[in-house]
Amino acid sequence: MRTAAELKFGEKVIINDVDTEHPSSRRIMEIGFTPGQEIELINISAFNDPMAFSVRGTIIALRRNEAHCIKIM
Amino acid sequence: MYKNYVDTSADTFPLITLVGPPNSGKTTLFNYLSGKKLKTVNYPGSTVDYSVCRIQEKYNINANLLDSPGIISLIPGSPDEQVAVSSLYAHPKFGVPDIVITTIDASQLSRHLLLTKQLLESGFRVVVVLTMTDILKKKGLQVSASRLKAELNAPVFVVDGRTGEGIPQLMNKIGKLLKKDQLNTDRKISAITEKKDFLKFYGEIEKIENKVLVPDPDKKKIAKANRKLRILTDPSAKKDCYKIDSTTVKIDKYLLNKNWGLFFFFIIMSLTFSSIFWLAQPLMNLVDSFFGMMNVMFSGLLGTTWYSDLISNGLISGTGAVLVFVPQIAMLFLILGLLEDSGYLARGAMLVDKPLSRIGLNGKSFVPMLSGFACAIPAMMAARTIPNRKERLLTIFILPLMSCSARLPVYALLIAFIIPPENSFAGGVVLASIYLFGIISSILIAGLINKFRDKIIKAEDNSSFILELPAYRLPKMKVVVHNAFISTKLYLRKAGPIILAFSLIIWLLTYFPNYNPEIDAKDLSKVEYVKLQETERLSGSYAAMLGKFIQPVMEPIGMDWRVGVSLISAFAAREVFVSSLALIFKVTDDDDTHLQNSIISAMRNARVESSGEKLFTTATIAGLIVFFIFALQCISTIAVSRKETGGWRIPVLQVVIFTSLAFCMTFITVNGLRFIGIQ
Ligand SMILES: Nc1nc2c(ncn2[C@@H]2O[C@H](COP(=O)(O)OP(=O)(O)O)[C@@H](O)[C@H]2O)c(=O)[nH]1
Ligand SMILES: [Mg+2]
Repeated sequence: MRTAAELKFGEKVIINDVDTEHPSSRRIMEIGFTPGQEIELINISAFNDPMAFSVRGTIIALRRNEAHCIKIM
Repeated sequence: MYKNYVDTSADTFPLITLVGPPNSGKTTLFNYLSGKKLKTVNYPGSTVDYSVCRIQEKYNINANLLDSPGIISLIPGSPDEQVAVSSLYAHPKFGVPDIVITTIDASQLSRHLLLTKQLLESGFRVVVVLTMTDILKKKGLQVSASRLKAELNAPVFVVDGRTGEGIPQLMNKIGKLLKKDQLNTDRKISAITEKKDFLKFYGEIEKIENKVLVPDPDKKKIAKANRKLRILTDPSAKKDCYKIDSTTVKIDKYLLNKNWGLFFFFIIMSLTFSSIFWLAQPLMNLVDSFFGMMNVMFSGLLGTTWYSDLISNGLISGTGAVLVFVPQIAMLFLILGLLEDSGYLARGAMLVDKPLSRIGLNGKSFVPMLSGFACAIPAMMAARTIPNRKERLLTIFILPLMSCSARLPVYALLIAFIIPPENSFAGGVVLASIYLFGIISSILIAGLINKFRDKIIKAEDNSSFILELPAYRLPKMKVVVHNAFISTKLYLRKAGPIILAFSLIIWLLTYFPNYNPEIDAKDLSKVEYVKLQETERLSGSYAAMLGKFIQPVMEPIGMDWRVGVSLISAFAAREVFVSSLALIFKVTDDDDTHLQNSIISAMRNARVESSGEKLFTTATIAGLIVFFIFALQCISTIAVSRKETGGWRIPVLQVVIFTSLAFCMTFITVNGLRFIGIQ
């Protein structure tokens, strides 16, 4: 399964699952990344990390390893 | 000055606590209701401590209002969130709130409802305040307060804390609620941690969202009649509220660009620091000539008596020498304020996250580091937003290396010694380089300590960077100028008395015992005679006696006891260094109407007593700048460091490491420069 870290610019996808093994997963869900939500990759910072996604009408920056726990279809 | 406002006169009044997600308008509402002027910033995490204040009398409500740092759920993830959650459940002084006002950014409805639902389920008496409805309106939408009220079974009000719209209705309801007794004061913690609970919660929230989001009436008129009262049940219409600000995305295409992002970051930071110097110059000249004139006037008026010397030397030169540089401090506050209000800070944090995480810091260290350029004390408190303890402690550790505003007068004077004031471009560049040097040193030190510490502390905390990037907006000049003015005023109120007191102390130490040295006056002109007499007096003064102790330490770094006395007095406040130089080198000998010029020419004429060589040269000035970059000469910083790190270990290490480093680096700079032929 692909993860949000592998998204391309402009590609809109629906979150399928969030990997709860990752210690940041609770915060990721709290801030709005829940299964069923649409997300889009907005920006990738210099050094390829962190990445910024749009979710629920806002932009959230996450580290690449944290984006990996957001599974997409 | 940097203590949060806590009015402790009446803690028996009912307590109303403001909680809500970061950047949802809590502090704005708090300021409106309390009449206070706490800082609001376009960065998630600008409030890091609670503040309590009585609600203004005109609302006829006798209650305390508490503002808290932003939280997104009832499970805290960092120390600032811990402050907010503790003030909800077990505030040490005020107990459990009678009413909780929770702010919801209407344009972020679904995300912000999560906390509201948790609060309701935990049994708090909640009043919901919808903010930022103007932003939602731009998307053609509106939240129906009556529907939301029915869904949540809690009062809901649309409020704009900037204009006061909706405040009367809100306060009316709160007045009524306070008259009723609370049914129970038991509060559980309804905090969801499991994925299935999140799904359930968000499922309910999305249902509510579909019911309460309605088209804005202004837009409705344009729309077809049959769509007039339709609730937004079709997903395509709901998507309107999930649209992100397109201007923000466009700007970010440049400022967060993979290749150019760091370049823009560097340009923005350099402009920030160099423009302090450029912009302040005209204002500075004005203040400068004012004090110069005062000086000439008073010494002319009072003649050569001890009280004339006290007034013109002790008071006017001593304090004026520092006040001349206050415009630069005001500019620093102004420029940092502009940056804070624009929304760029969160981007800066994102850009530097990767490199900083390599050396044991975090992208979230960026904002504390930047505010460290104003003052280390609020900066250390701002480090509370860093979730990982190790990263937070390391950030606090290096914060004293950010050149704070108290160092600005020192740098400005020393730069003016090397570079003529006409050339303010070069001055700005030098100042920016000093800041850069401080930053680079702090990064090297952080890297070193990080390597070293990994061996000592094995505990691995989860290192994380999750940050909301707020929409860009044009800074509101009026607010930013006002904030800079208040900060400058507070700065003067805090530093002013210390500078004044120490100017007097140094004057006393240099003027007394004031014996009349016997001088062979035969071959001397009147002017030369007075000069010589003063030199003799100074070397017999109490200050000189004290100075003899430190002379051996000062010699290796090319200074003498006079600089040593000034460096020691800088431990009271760094700016006192400037006053002290002005006093010890007797700037009033000169008739120059510019105070700064007379200090500098007095410094140029100063000679090392033993060898007769020039005391202030390019090498020793550079050495002094380096000393001030490293030395931790601030008692309040040490106290706050102890409080924020929870022990003496870190502040003691900071004092020892930074002060010895200052001495060593100064030694290397002065002697290194001399070695390569730069005097
Ligand atoms: N457009 C708009 N901006 C607002 C409103 N209320 C507050 N703000 C701004 O939103 C930003 C965040 O507000 P603040 O009170 O600091 O939020 P806090 O983090 O919850 O304390 C500030 O820059 C405010 O000026 C509002 O109703 N509409
Ligand atoms: Mg706030």
